[in-house]
Amino acid sequence: MALGPSLRLPWRWPLAPWLLVPMDDAQADHLKAYGVTYRAVERGARAEWFLNYRNGSFLLPADSASARDAALSGVTTEPLDDPELLRIRAQIQDENMDAIPLEKSPKVAVYAPPNAAPWDDAVTMVLNYAGIKFEKVWDAEVLGEKLKLYDWLHLHHEDFTGQYSKFFLNYAGAPWLADMVQRNTAMAHAQGFKTVPDEKKAVARAIGAYVERGGFLFAMCTATETLDLALASADVDIAAAYADGTPMDPAASGKMHWDRTLAFQNAQLELSPTVPVYSDIDGHQVNSLERRQPLGSFTLFNFSAKIDPVAAMLVQSHRQVIPDFYGLTTSFTRRTLKPAITVLADEPGAPWVKYIHGEHGQGTWTFLGGHDPEDPQHQIGDLPTDLSLHPHSPGYRLILNNVLFPAAKKKELKT
Amino acid sequence: MTVGSGGAAMLRSRAAAFLGAAGVLVLPLAVAAQQIDPMRRAFDLERRGSYADAAETYRAVLRRNPAESAALFGLERALLALNRSAEILPQVNAAIVASPKTVAFYGVAVRAWAAANQPDSVRRVVERWVALDPGDESPYREWGTAAIARRDRAEARRAYLAGRERLRRPDVLAPELAEVAVEEQDWPTALHEWLTAIGQTPAYHSTAVMTLGGVPESVRPDLLRQLQRESDGPARSLEANLRARWGDPAGGFESLSRALPADTTQAIDMLRIFLEQIRGQSGAKAKRAQALTLEAIADRSPGADGARLRLEAAQAFADGGDQRAARRMLSGVAADSSSPPDLASGAAMTLIGVMLSEGKLDEAERKLAEMRGSLTSEDARALSRRMAWSWARSGKLARADSLIARDTSVEGLAVAGRIRLLEGDVRGALARLQGAGPFAGTREEATERTALLALLQPIDADSVPALGRSLLQLETGDTVAALASLEKVASELPPDHGGAELRLYTGNVARAAGKQTEAERLFRAADVAEARATAPAAELALGRLLLDLNRAREAVGVLEHLILTFPDSALIPQARRALDEARGAVPRT
Repeated sequence: MALGPSLRLPWRWPLAPWLLVPMDDAQADHLKAYGVTYRAVERGARAEWFLNYRNGSFLLPADSASARDAALSGVTTEPLDDPELLRIRAQIQDENMDAIPLEKSPKVAVYAPPNAAPWDDAVTMVLNYAGIKFEKVWDAEVLGEKLKLYDWLHLHHEDFTGQYSKFFLNYAGAPWLADMVQRNTAMAHAQGFKTVPDEKKAVARAIGAYVERGGFLFAMCTATETLDLALASADVDIAAAYADGTPMDPAASGKMHWDRTLAFQNAQLELSPTVPVYSDIDGHQVNSLERRQPLGSFTLFNFSAKIDPVAAMLVQSHRQVIPDFYGLTTSFTRRTLKPAITVLADEPGAPWVKYIHGEHGQGTWTFLGGHDPEDPQHQIGDLPTDLSLHPHSPGYRLILNNVLFPAAKKKELKT
Repeated sequence: MTVGSGGAAMLRSRAAAFLGAAGVLVLPLAVAAQQIDPMRRAFDLERRGSYADAAETYRAVLRRNPAESAALFGLERALLALNRSAEILPQVNAAIVASPKTVAFYGVAVRAWAAANQPDSVRRVVERWVALDPGDESPYREWGTAAIARRDRAEARRAYLAGRERLRRPDVLAPELAEVAVEEQDWPTALHEWLTAIGQTPAYHSTAVMTLGGVPESVRPDLLRQLQRESDGPARSLEANLRARWGDPAGGFESLSRALPADTTQAIDMLRIFLEQIRGQSGAKAKRAQALTLEAIADRSPGADGARLRLEAAQAFADGGDQRAARRMLSGVAADSSSPPDLASGAAMTLIGVMLSEGKLDEAERKLAEMRGSLTSEDARALSRRMAWSWARSGKLARADSLIARDTSVEGLAVAGRIRLLEGDVRGALARLQGAGPFAGTREEATERTALLALLQPIDADSVPALGRSLLQLETGDTVAALASLEKVASELPPDHGGAELRLYTGNVARAAGKQTEAERLFRAADVAEARATAPAAELALGRLLLDLNRAREAVGVLEHLILTFPDSALIPQARRALDEARGAVPRT
């Protein structure tokens, strides 16, 4: 295609050897900065993540591809020569900062049914916006052990208890729900399970095994809570009659195997089939009019970049206090947290936390409560969030920290 | 991961050490606070989420005074948060012994025994409570609520029905029984109980509509038949609102209008409830139902209120596409001598506006002359401007000019500039459009004016009559002829003196007319090196067009070229936005 053929490109290959991608308020698009860095690593460039330096900046080699990518993405970069880079490294050495090499772009999988709307999942939205490639997997792939092809797996508002997010009665007749029921039932039968709850428990176990073998799991919204409930309820009926034909065991709370879960323990299950609440793991209980808690804001913790680089990576942000946002699971009550987990962010003074991280076997998991950081009261049928209107979203940055975190794995193991 | 967990462990250990030290420092103060005001301390602990400590503090208060109701309720709240509600039994038993006539304690006892899963004890407490006050329905309500908390709906139903029987009131506890029926998806019973509840307390109407509004489609016809068997007003009102909720606002209005009572106040109440139900709905049927409801309320409302409602009804009729009914409403308001002057003026303006939009220019002009006296001078001028532009669009340029000649406002200049342009007077149009500035008229009008200025500014000639004729063809709806003539005019102008800009303008016209192939050709023709101011706009327009044609890959190429070639262009943010859309990075707008 001929386009203004006589026009010359004013854009030039940068003269300095390095590009600093600042992540403080000088950055024009924080979210796309992760995409530019990810693609640079994907091309084989040696990038670095400067933890706590200008709110978690990135260092890229000033090759033509990175400069072009940044220009097209509207990402702010600053040319850096070697003396200036040495000065920055000296500062990093002296202060609570660290330089983490990013060596491998993780292969990303998103767990979602084939008909999932691309705009109803914060991670899918931000990966699309940042231009980070991902593949969708669902039950057949998970049970078929295809997860081993991926470094990073994301779960969002899936209900691993197999109860269709407990919307079955309140949204009876809605076409999207009918479609969800039909697809899940067909998939369960195709996989040799009698009921959807049984099949989802098997999927949860496969995901747990993926983490145990060394996978990185990031979950949001109700996937956090229901994954653990599914893992803990191997032989306990925690699903309502509409999901598996038998009512939930009224004594289910006392029969759960909390030793099999990632994050939670000793939760009390919600027994009503009509209340879209699963347990008291969630502190906000958004869909229970009597128990719903108002939204506040959550605060990211500070970690030592040199001693605890994993936690430090996960909380890199240009804002330490972030407005909270609802989800079917919004937060995690302190009472139900296992003792060995790391709390990354909480609401000071509240009996719940927002953002947690832990290890399971060889792998790690990170849970972030809530549905959409820029749509705090998200409801079914809402218009999709347009991230070009929120290029500095600190909530979405947390998700992208998780995507890049596996790229730093090697350095971290060496130390 | 060893480093991460090691660091976390270190932090935890540091935190523990800090808390240990803090504990030593804080303890004496805490003890002092407790001695000063234990209830305040308990409230504070509860507010901060330290429920176990709060519970202990409430217990300490109750040890000293077993009948201290605030402490007993506080203890109940704290234990509920800890999921240990049954542990309050010793305290509540002691409270009842200390103050056996305080009925509120029996409610706490019912809930505690229910939490302990002891239904026999629940019933025993209820019996004692009933003995204290045989006419009170609260014991049965509390008994049922406790059963529901344990998911025992059968027991809840037994409690409520026992209340009905013993109080000999078949209408009591209807909302509670309705809720049980809803939980059991027993929709006919739920409807029956809601009707009973509304008969007692009309305020339950909205709850009934909310809970029954979501019933599955398959059971709706049965519920409607059940409602039609009832003859009273509340049943009709519920039927109307449910029909509206289930997507049949017209049927809802019909049901309601058949059952409106003679009493004006009651009728207006029913209509207003229905109006609230349908107000947020869109679509022609919903708008018509809104209009009819507003008209029905207006018919029952005297003076200014009625006129205001008719004006609103006219708007709803117009939104629903029924211009005739809109005119009927507006004529009534405008001619009604009892209408407040501002309303009459507003109605007249809207009425003339409706006539203009229907192309009845002579009729509108007569109406304007007739009503001028009742209009403010500003309103009259605004209508004159609309009329002038309507005449201009119909080709009567001289008539339009004469109407606008004396209007020196910025809005008047904006209209005069566009009329000059249709006459081919480029200089005259430029002067007037520039004089109008960026704020005259609506935002859309201002944007269109800016586009016209961008089109005219590079043209050297003072007058291009062919351009005026082409634009007039466009205004009269002859798009095919207009496109051909505009392109011909563009070919006669140098690219950097209006030619490229006019091609871009014509391309936008073609695109709006659905002629995408022509639009693409024109945008590409406008993207030339000689017209550097036009090229980025042409590339953006081309990129967006390709995106609309689902040629995202080509759009990406065009938009990347634009961003990298014109990095300082004011269009870069829009180009990045379009590029995001082409790449699927953001939702399409």
